[in-house]
Amino acid sequence: MLKIGRTAAAAVLAASAMVLAACGGSSDGGGGGSSSGPRTLTLWHYEGADSAMGKAWAQAIKEFEASHPGVTVKFEEKGFEQIQKTAGMVLNSDEAPDVMEYNKGNATAGLLSKQGLLTDLSDEAAKRGWDKLLSPSLQTTARYDDRGIMGSGKWFGIPNYAEYVMVYYNKDAFKKQGIEVPTTFDEFTAALDKFAKAGITPIATGGAEYPAQQIMYLLALSKADRAWVDAFQQYKGKVDFHGPEFTYGAQTFADWVKKGYISKDSAGIKAEDMGVSFIGGKFPIMISGSWWYGRFQEQIKDFDWGSFLWPGGAMAPGSSGNLWVVPEKAKNKDLAYDFIDITMKKDIQNLLGNSGGLPVAADPTAITDPKSKELVENFNKLSSQDGLAFYPDWPAPGYYDVLVAGVQELINGSKSPEQVLDEIAQPYNDNLADIGN
Amino acid sequence: MTSVRAVRTVRSVRAPGRWAVLAALVVLAVAMVSPFVIVTLNAFKSPAEYSAGGPLSLPKGLYLDGIIDFWNRVDFGEKFLNSLLISGAVAIAAVVLSVLNAYALGIGRVRGRLWILVLFLVANTLPQESLVYPLYYLSKEVGLYDSKLAVILIFTVIQAAFGTYLLSSVLGQFPREILEAASIDGAGKWRALSRIVVPISRPTLSVLVIFFFIWTWNEFFLPLIFLISNDNQTVPVALGVLQGEKMMDATMSSASALLGIVPAVAFFLIFQRTLTRGVTVGAIK
Repeated sequence: MLKIGRTAAAAVLAASAMVLAACGGSSDGGGGGSSSGPRTLTLWHYEGADSAMGKAWAQAIKEFEASHPGVTVKFEEKGFEQIQKTAGMVLNSDEAPDVMEYNKGNATAGLLSKQGLLTDLSDEAAKRGWDKLLSPSLQTTARYDDRGIMGSGKWFGIPNYAEYVMVYYNKDAFKKQGIEVPTTFDEFTAALDKFAKAGITPIATGGAEYPAQQIMYLLALSKADRAWVDAFQQYKGKVDFHGPEFTYGAQTFADWVKKGYISKDSAGIKAEDMGVSFIGGKFPIMISGSWWYGRFQEQIKDFDWGSFLWPGGAMAPGSSGNLWVVPEKAKNKDLAYDFIDITMKKDIQNLLGNSGGLPVAADPTAITDPKSKELVENFNKLSSQDGLAFYPDWPAPGYYDVLVAGVQELINGSKSPEQVLDEIAQPYNDNLADIGN
Repeated sequence: MTSVRAVRTVRSVRAPGRWAVLAALVVLAVAMVSPFVIVTLNAFKSPAEYSAGGPLSLPKGLYLDGIIDFWNRVDFGEKFLNSLLISGAVAIAAVVLSVLNAYALGIGRVRGRLWILVLFLVANTLPQESLVYPLYYLSKEVGLYDSKLAVILIFTVIQAAFGTYLLSSVLGQFPREILEAASIDGAGKWRALSRIVVPISRPTLSVLVIFFFIWTWNEFFLPLIFLISNDNQTVPVALGVLQGEKMMDATMSSASALLGIVPAVAFFLIFQRTLTRGVTVGAIK
C-alpha cells in the first residue's frame, strides 16, 4: 500500500514538474520575435461574454491572432472576486498572465504598483499614443505615484472603456404624468414632486449597496467644483465634511426621503433589485451608472426608456473603466503591448460602443445604434466639461461600507445629516493620517 | 394486544404535543428547503422573465439555456472532474491519515496525547484566512502553486486534524479485551490495526469519508487562492465567475448553483444509508 502511494505521489510530482517545464519552455522566447517558434499570450479578464467589453475583446483576440501568426491567445475568464482576492499573490508568482484586466483605484492597481508587481507602461503609452487617446480625467485612474495614489506619476494601466452615473427614465411614465425631460435641477425636483404627489415613488435606489451613496455624492457635487473633487479624491487640500458640499448632499438626500422621492424601504435594497424594479417598470427614475446600459437595452421591452445627464450640475460620478495591466513578471510583455494597442483601435472601440459599452477612443459617427449614440454623446459632453468626479468610496480603504451605513441611517432617519457627516468624516481623516497627509 | 392498546392510548394523550412537533418540523423543513426551491425556480427562468417578475414568480416554461450556457462557459465537466478528484483523494487520504494518528493516540496511548489532541483541535479551529500566506509561500517554494496536489495535501491535513481528534476519542473507548485476545493470538500492531480496529470501526470511518468528501467539495476560499488556472479549478470556484463587479446574472447564477449543489446532494443520497448506520452504531456504543 505504502509503496503504491509513494510511486503515485512521485508520478504526480513528475507530471506536475513536466507541466511546469512545458509552461516555462513555451514562454522563454520573449523578445526574440517570431523565429523562436510558437508563443502564447495569456490573457485574463472578468467581463461576461455577452457584455460590451466581452464582445469587443473577443474580437480583439481574433484580430491579434490574425496579425500575429504563430502566437496563440490563451484566454481565461476569471471571477471578479478571484482577481480581487488573489491578484497580489498570482502576480508575485510565475503563474502571472501576460496581460489582465484589473480594478482601477488606490487600493487595487495603486497598491500593486507600489509593490512593484506592475510594469511601468509610460514609454509604451507615449510611443503608441495611448496618452493622446485618453482625456485627462480618464488618465487619472491610469497613473499612480510612488505612494500608489492615482492622478499623477507613471502609467501602470490602460483603461479601455469608461463609465458615468446618469439618470435613467421611463418615457412612458413621464408621458403619463405629462412631464418633459428636465434640463435644470428645479425642473428635475418639480418632476420628482409631481410623481410623489401622484402617489408614485419616483427614484429607484438601493441603500444596501453603492446606488444610494452615489446619489448623495451627486447632490454634494452640485455645490462643488473641481478643486473640491481633487481635494476629496486626491488629497490635494482639506475637505470640510460640514462645508456647503457635503452638508447640502446629506441634507437634500434626507429631505428627498422625507418628501417621498426616495422610498423609506430602500435602505435594505441591493443594486440588483433596484435594477430589476426599474426594468419591471415599478419606478419611473433610476440614478445609476452606465454599467446598466447594455442590460437595459436587452431586457426592457415593455416601455420606452432613455437617459439624460444629471441636471443638478456639471459633474457626476464617473471614471475610466477597469485597466489593462501588464504584470512585472509577465513573460511576453511585447505581445501584451500589441494586444492592448489593438483594443484601443477604432474598430474595437466602435464595436464596444455599438454593443452598449462606453468606449474611450471611438469614432462618434461610427456608433450607429441610437441608444448607444445617446450614451456616448452624453459621456462626451460630461467629459468635455471635465465632469468625471470618480466615486465617493474611493478615497479610503473600507470607505464603501462606511458610506453604506451612513446613507442607510439617512434613509431610516435614525441619525441627522450632521451626525452622519461626522460619522463618515472620521474614517476619511484617519486614512489621511495613515498616508501621511 | 394489551400493550398495543396501551401504546395507542399513550399516543392519543400525547397528540397535541405531537402535532406541535410536527408543525415545528414542517416550518423548519420549509425554511430549509425554500432556498433550494428559489434557486431551482430561477434556474429555469429566462433573464427577461426574471426581470419582469422578480425572483419569486413561477417560470413560464422550462428555460434550459442558463444551465447549458453556464456549462459551456466554464467547461463544467472539467471542473466537475477536478472537484471529484480533489474531494475523493482528500476523503480517502484524510481518513487513512486519521486512522493512523488515532491508532497511535487512542489505542497506542502515546505520551502527551492530550496535548497532541489539543494541538490538533487548535489547528482545526484556525481560520483559513490566517493560513493563506504561509501556505502560499510554502507551495511556491516547492513548486506546487497552482496545482491540484497542493489543494489535496492542504485539505488532507486540515480534514485529518478533525478526523484524528474525533477518531482518537472513539478508539479510546475501543474494547481492550479484543486487542489483548488478538495479541495473544500473535497479531502484531499492524495486523491488529488492519484486521481488527479498522473493520470494527468501519461505520465510523465511512461516515468520515462522506463528511470529508462533502466538506472538501464545498470548500471555496483555499481553492480560490491555490487553483489559479481555469484548468485546475473546482466547481465552487467556477461558480464565482458569474459574480461581476457591479452586475450579477441572477438566472445564470441560479443555474450554476443548481449544478453545483446537485453532485453533493446526489453523493449524500447515495451514501445516506451508510451515514445513518454509522450514526446509529455510534449511538448504541
